Amino acid sequence: MSLAMGVSLGGLAMKNPVTTASGTFASGREYADFIDLSALGALTTKGVSLHAWAGNATPRIAETPSGMLNSIGLQNPGVQAFIDSDLAWLSTQGVPVIVNVSGHSIEEYLAVIALLEPQDAVHAFELNISCPNVDAGGMAFGCSTANVEAVVAKARAATKKPLIVKLTPNVTDIAEIARSAEGAGADALSLINTVLGMAIDAHTRKPRLARVVGGLSGPAIKPIALRLVYEAYRAVAIPLIGMGGIMTGEDAVEFLLAGASAVAVGTANFVNPRATVEVIEGIERYCADNGVTDVKELIGGLLC
Amino acid sequence: MGNVFEGRGTIRRNEQVGPGLFLMEVGEASMARAITPGQFVHVGLPGMEGHILRRPFSVYSACGDSGTIDILYQAVGFGTRHMAGLGPGAAVSLLGPLGRAWHPPEDTRCALLVGGGVGAAPLFLLAAELVRCGSAVDVVLGAQTADALVCRGRYEALLAGAPAKSSLRCATDDGSFGHAGFCTPLVEERLAARSYDYAAVCGPEPMMRIVIGQMEGLPLACEASLERRMACGVGACLSCVVATDEGMRRACVDGPVFDARKVVFA
Ligand SMILES: Cc1cc2nc3c(=O)[nH]c(=O)nc-3n(C[C@H](O)[C@H](O)[C@H](O)COP(=O)(O)OP(=O)(O)OC[C@H]3O[C@@H](n4cnc5c(N)ncnc54)[C@H](O)[C@@H]3O)c2cc1C
Ligand SMILES: Cc1cc2nc3c(=O)[nH]c(=O)nc-3n(C[C@H](O)[C@H](O)[C@H](O)COP(=O)(O)O)c2cc1C
Ligand code: FES
Repeated sequence: MSLAMGVSLGGLAMKNPVTTASGTFASGREYADFIDLSALGALTTKGVSLHAWAGNATPRIAETPSGMLNSIGLQNPGVQAFIDSDLAWLSTQGVPVIVNVSGHSIEEYLAVIALLEPQDAVHAFELNISCPNVDAGGMAFGCSTANVEAVVAKARAATKKPLIVKLTPNVTDIAEIARSAEGAGADALSLINTVLGMAIDAHTRKPRLARVVGGLSGPAIKPIALRLVYEAYRAVAIPLIGMGGIMTGEDAVEFLLAGASAVAVGTANFVNPRATVEVIEGIERYCADNGVTDVKELIGGLLC
Repeated sequence: MGNVFEGRGTIRRNEQVGPGLFLMEVGEASMARAITPGQFVHVGLPGMEGHILRRPFSVYSACGDSGTIDILYQAVGFGTRHMAGLGPGAAVSLLGPLGRAWHPPEDTRCALLVGGGVGAAPLFLLAAELVRCGSAVDVVLGAQTADALVCRGRYEALLAGAPAKSSLRCATDDGSFGHAGFCTPLVEERLAARSYDYAAVCGPEPMMRIVIGQMEGLPLACEASLERRMACGVGACLSCVVATDEGMRRACVDGPVFDARKVVFA
């Protein structure tokens, strides 16, 4: 029985529904010893900003029950260095590239997109609206519908490539945020980014992260992520990329059932550098075992 | 990157060798052959429950013939305490060989190695390599007590066979063996007695900072091995950065061994 694994993500054709979660896979070079990158449905890069960002002080990570906190601070060498080194290399890897874009102001997001728009090696943009908006006093863009509309509408006007908007879970009502992004022209949504959290060392009475608070990822956030994907799926018509704690093919299937058209594997890469391909194989096995001939049948297939 | 892989090894031996100190021997022949002095492995242990991350450990010694690597570790938290309870036959996953190795200058004739606590372990393969190349090797080790100087025997045996005049000097905080106090006066004394062309340091950061300060102005190459919390271990996540004169560098691929004079200590 042949199995169709391809999905379409707002104009981006993926040969299977699995990509990498931004910031957990760099630009893929580090994992090329372990997997064939061309086996992935797409590769999502780390966040790219206009100028180099130095990131936060260390310790930047702390392990927490079934997960980890990070406060990397979007360290990256800036868009030009990304184009010259990573993108040049990525363009030879035979995998669609989704570039994750960061900014502290709408102008910054637009400047990054403007430099990447002419690059054929960029197949889609993922707008990370969890970044603090300096113009709005540091609150994340993704936390208010007005800010989401403003940044997504401007980004939409700046690119003809598929525009994915990555939502933060740190909001009261994901449905209204998802609708704002859709209304402003997003082709797809990805969710979730990390959940704000903190960890304390009782013995030293100090926070475990230099920045005190950070973003929680890994299996610990999977139930939160599934709930948010499920709510967003019911709120919008555009496709979703689900992520948050996916370690296995079965985890990925759960996201598809909740309404995601594709999934991203993040923290799992740190545990198992072959996690992405093993998730793909796991989805295939699930489909074979359950008589599913087209993976798209699973999307939103939750019975309730 | 080139030839980093996941090796599935089996614990051959795992025993306590000192206060809170354990020695684990893992059979994984390809890894044992691939490791160069100063490199580390990112270890996945069975039964870690909700502790999802791997744990990084330097390789204390590696033997291509027996296909084993030794890890000397201190029980400090959940992972290392759990590790201490694993018995022979248990399967462990090793990502490696990881990180930048020690790079003594090609023509090193006289080297000074300074290890504090378990920092003695990542220096051992380097010492063996230098001895093999005919360099004189002076080693200074510091520990809290005589019991904790668990690498002493191996270093003594190695240096006894060294062709060039070599030495081992030890310091213990409680004076139960060797010099009483920190190892830094021994370093001072060595630097005054001999001229070195290479120094390598591994230990707690405050100790490394002092030792590197002692080398200031001396015409010798100086390297230090640093520890940072690591998620991926392969250079992808940027959790392990070290501040250097050349900007933020990743301890897992640009280190753990760095040019000591370029490290900006906090
Ligand atoms: C390159 C490198 C080589 C190392 N080599 C050795 C060695 O040869 N022998 C040895 O005893 N120890 C070594 N360490 C330190 C060792 O990794 C930690 O002691 C160990 O991870 C602690 O795990 P835990 O679960 O017991 O502690 P926990 O405190 O429960 O660990 C929680 C988290 O913090 C991390 N962590 C805690 N302490 C350290 C530390 N000092 N450095 C880095 N991460 C830490 C853990 O990996 C884990 O992710 C090395 C560290 C690095 C980075
Ligand atoms: C170390 C680390 C760095 C991350 N960096 C980014 C980033 O640059 N941009 C972004 O949109 N998300 C970033 N994320 C969030 C992930 O892409 C993902 O949304 C989140 O980790 C949940 O998925 P997971 O549980 O599978 O890791 C990062 C996550 C981690 C753990
Ligand atoms: S541990 Fe991920 S970059 Fe070093």
